[in-house]
Amino acid sequence: MLLGGATLIFLFVMVLLALAMRRRDAPGQASGERVWIVGLGLAFPLTVLAALLAYGLVVGERLLPRPGPGVVDVGAEGRQWDWHFTYADAPGRMTEGVLHIPAGRPVDVAITSADVIHSFWVPRLAGKLDAIPGHVNVLRIEAWVPGDYAGVSSEYNGPGYTGHDFTVRAHDEAAWADFLAGEAP
Amino acid sequence: MTALRLHRELTRIWASEPGWKGWFTTVNHNDLGRMFIVASIVFFVIGGVLAMLIRAQLASPRSAFMAPETYAQVFTMHGTIMMFLFAIPLIEGVAVYLLPKMLGTRDLAFPRLTAYGFWCYVLGGSLLILSLLLGIAPDSGWFMYPPLSSTLGSPGINSDFWLLGITFVEISAISAAVEITVTILRYRAPGMSLDRMPVYAWYILVVAVMILTGFPPMILGSILLELERAFGMPFFQVENGGDSLLWQHLFWLFGHPEVYIIFLPAAAVISTILPVMARTTLLGYGWVVAAAVSLGVLSFGIWVHHMFTTGIPHMGLAFFSAASTLVAVPTAVQIFAWIGTLWKGRPELHLPMLWILAFFATFVIGGLTGVMVAVVPFDWQVHDTHFVVAHLHYVLVGGFVFPMLAALYYWLPHVTGRRRFFKLGETAFWLIMVGFHITFLAVHWAGLLGQRRRTHTYDEGQGWEIINLIASIGGFVTAIGFALVILDIVVNAAVAVRGSRDPWQAGTLEWAMPTPPAAYNFASLPEIRSRDPLRDDPALPVRIARGEGWLGDASRGRRESLTVATATGEPAQVVVLPGNTGLPLLMAVTTGGIFVGMLLKLYWLVPLAALGVATLAARWAWGLGATRDEGPVEGRPGLVLALASESVDPPGWWGSLFLLLADATLLGSLLFGYAFLWTVAPNWPPPTWAEPGLLAPSLALVGAALSVTGIQLADLRLRQERGPWLGFLLGLAGSVALALAAGMVLLGTDPTAHAYNATLWVLGGFVVLHAGLAGLMTLYLTCRYAAGFVTGRRIGEARIVRLWTDYAAGTGLLALAAAWLPGAVA
Amino acid sequence: MTDILRISGPLTLWLTAFSAVYGLQGLICSPRWAEAGLDLAAGRMALALAASLVLGLQVAFLLALRTTRFASCSGFVRTLSLGLSTVALVASAWTLIPVATTSACL
Repeated sequence: MLLGGATLIFLFVMVLLALAMRRRDAPGQASGERVWIVGLGLAFPLTVLAALLAYGLVVGERLLPRPGPGVVDVGAEGRQWDWHFTYADAPGRMTEGVLHIPAGRPVDVAITSADVIHSFWVPRLAGKLDAIPGHVNVLRIEAWVPGDYAGVSSEYNGPGYTGHDFTVRAHDEAAWADFLAGEAP
Repeated sequence: MTALRLHRELTRIWASEPGWKGWFTTVNHNDLGRMFIVASIVFFVIGGVLAMLIRAQLASPRSAFMAPETYAQVFTMHGTIMMFLFAIPLIEGVAVYLLPKMLGTRDLAFPRLTAYGFWCYVLGGSLLILSLLLGIAPDSGWFMYPPLSSTLGSPGINSDFWLLGITFVEISAISAAVEITVTILRYRAPGMSLDRMPVYAWYILVVAVMILTGFPPMILGSILLELERAFGMPFFQVENGGDSLLWQHLFWLFGHPEVYIIFLPAAAVISTILPVMARTTLLGYGWVVAAAVSLGVLSFGIWVHHMFTTGIPHMGLAFFSAASTLVAVPTAVQIFAWIGTLWKGRPELHLPMLWILAFFATFVIGGLTGVMVAVVPFDWQVHDTHFVVAHLHYVLVGGFVFPMLAALYYWLPHVTGRRRFFKLGETAFWLIMVGFHITFLAVHWAGLLGQRRRTHTYDEGQGWEIINLIASIGGFVTAIGFALVILDIVVNAAVAVRGSRDPWQAGTLEWAMPTPPAAYNFASLPEIRSRDPLRDDPALPVRIARGEGWLGDASRGRRESLTVATATGEPAQVVVLPGNTGLPLLMAVTTGGIFVGMLLKLYWLVPLAALGVATLAARWAWGLGATRDEGPVEGRPGLVLALASESVDPPGWWGSLFLLLADATLLGSLLFGYAFLWTVAPNWPPPTWAEPGLLAPSLALVGAALSVTGIQLADLRLRQERGPWLGFLLGLAGSVALALAAGMVLLGTDPTAHAYNATLWVLGGFVVLHAGLAGLMTLYLTCRYAAGFVTGRRIGEARIVRLWTDYAAGTGLLALAAAWLPGAVA
Repeated sequence: MTDILRISGPLTLWLTAFSAVYGLQGLICSPRWAEAGLDLAAGRMALALAASLVLGLQVAFLLALRTTRFASCSGFVRTLSLGLSTVALVASAWTLIPVATTSACL
């Protein structure tokens, strides 16, 4: 939708330009400042941008990790060049490189870093959020179907950056219970 | 006097030294503008080669061309060079060359400062290139996020090159900004009121003020990070009360205005060239000026949009999302004003116009993708992917490089005095246009498919191979195009035929002179009555050359120019400008000693070099100071004006004012950082607060009061032609007392213990430095008085010292109060 | 110089106010706010007050620039400063929308 709108605006501007370059009739007819500047320069972008801003705010608000029933809490700690994951429902459990979550339930990932700045990004589940030393950022993710989802670091963090990835493994109800009980999934 | 005799006289006065020596001693904006431009193009070529290395590496999956460590240096240096060593200096160079000519004056306000800035730029830039050649270049990305760029992530010397080299280069940005601001506000042709100023000057005024307020946060950040790396002051280390987010705030407080600092000069060029190409005037001059000013200020309110993924609360993000969408409005006003101008006139398709059309096609796409990433949820997906890379290249290449190419071809006849004969430029245009779009449309696409930026390679099977190959091929085509442009310029500058004056029939003053221009620009300064003086009066160049305007008489045998009242353009003072000197180069080399000393950890060299700079600065000011009372001089037959050195607000006072604006922004950024750490950093409050006690605060108060009243007294007594000795003495004592009070802050705390203590050190150091400067200036003034060079008439120097003293006292009290406040409350 | 202040003043006021409100929001969401014994409702109240104050100041600035006492003698500067003052007012309203519409500390 964003792309489509942007393409339309781009084409509109290009057509105006092309017409300006091709016109060979009497120049200097002062259609003037009102049309060009007040109409196209002010009113047009203000309208489009107001709509866009409203959309962004509403969607952004919906993505917030509000407390709710059935939210699973896990922790993710980035380091050069590895990820450690911990689980509130299974204290003491720590996995490296693979984050286990239940499918179909909202999961809050508490993200932090042990050394430099990293970023936690699972493109198919949510946007990215940075892992910053000393800070804990909470990202809400939810996987609808069980399976493996690829995740990567997405803030440059040194020579090992390219291969600094991880997997999010979403389990069905039974497998999740098994995992929490400490059996190898 | 005939035009030819006048020309000979003025040339004798204004010419640079002949031969190679002239390169090092020139202070003339004609020379320095061209030197700036050529140097920036050299750096552009180096940055371009790095870009080709990147595209070569990414052309195929699993490429073994570069190791990740090498690749990191290459992409870091590509960004750094293009931003700091190409874009900003090119803007400065074009402005240095053009502004005095457009404004109808003979040179910039502070010619030696132009030269000093140029040498700082070349030396600092060479330092960075040297690191690249030695294979120890910065490697943490061009925005240098700590902890990766600090001792934890880069223990080697790499980051130091960036922090010190770039700060060295920024001296040139600040000095250029100071003199550009003063030049536009004060050095114009008589009668050129604000509304008759060329629109280019308006834009560049906005840009210069933006540099003065936008660069200090980053300069501060670089200083803090270097202090952390060199002396263990933990500003960005979380265990000891620092926070790496502080860097991001300071960096982007600079970094986003920077985008507009780069875009606005390009918009200035378009607003100047496009109406000429359309044979009409700019539609909505007032609207465009208002849009430029709005854009300049609004761009300071959107820095956090580079930090959307750092976990800032949604309301915070929403503020910046709103502001980021809003900046699109003044941009749209300008775009449609330009298109409206084209509709109003009869556009002709010369090469500069082709480049402007390329700008439209490219920049509008870049602007639209910019609006997309201003939407928070969208940004969360594409942040740090190639989509952002493509977006910023569309904005910077489309919004800056293309207009600059238009400028290059538009003003080339002015610089060379020749007509373009070989038409390589048109071929180059199509190569660059097509190559660029192929490359970066593909890069957009790769980003949407999830390819991250800064990864040195990728695996097969993700669908990225063909896209990257296309992007690389496009990149090489673009590079060939740029090579052809350079070839075109060189060939045409060397062998093309002589052209006519004003080949485009433009209306602005830079075309009212023979080309290539003489060192003095105008044989006499014209009286201005409209926005397009040359169009209204085609005989203007002849009258200027005959000496019929202001200062059309070279009999005083020195470089003279004119200042005007800021708003009305009424002539105000006659200024004497300095002649050729090697002092700026010497001072730049000495300044370099400070940075090299820090870089190589030869800390004894740092105070030594600083002392050298102070000595040279005194020599610098002494050399131009007036040594006798002259009284008003003739500006044009029958009309006398005061000399600037005999005014209460000489150019040096104005320059100081704007330099202090930058300095105050630096202090403001430091106080912001302090408050930021106090609210946000995890390990706060610190274990103990520093106790102010009673002695130090009283000393500070007394010191501030003494220094302010002392210099005020000296000023008053000087104007009454009575001895100012008591005032000098009180002023000195006050500065010493203030410095002592700040020194007590330094001695009472261990800067490596906690970010709080480190901040106290920087606050205290700031006060010591400024009180010391005020003290040294008072000493200098005392010497000048003793030598008989300061009198009630030649009061200007005393006013400048007074400005600095008042500033040192005011900021000193503010900084010390901030340092002591938490301890006093607790 | 005064004319430069007339031109740069309103938008500088916007920038200061905008940064200050952002800083206030940061303070409200930081541990320092709770340590001072204040809750989120007090925070929202403070934000709303700050936003109204900003808008009030901008309106006052705009009106002042219309009076003979503060207006410039140059017609161009007068038009320009009034225009930019309007821009500053709109910018203040636009960028402070989140105070009323979004959640403060999530």
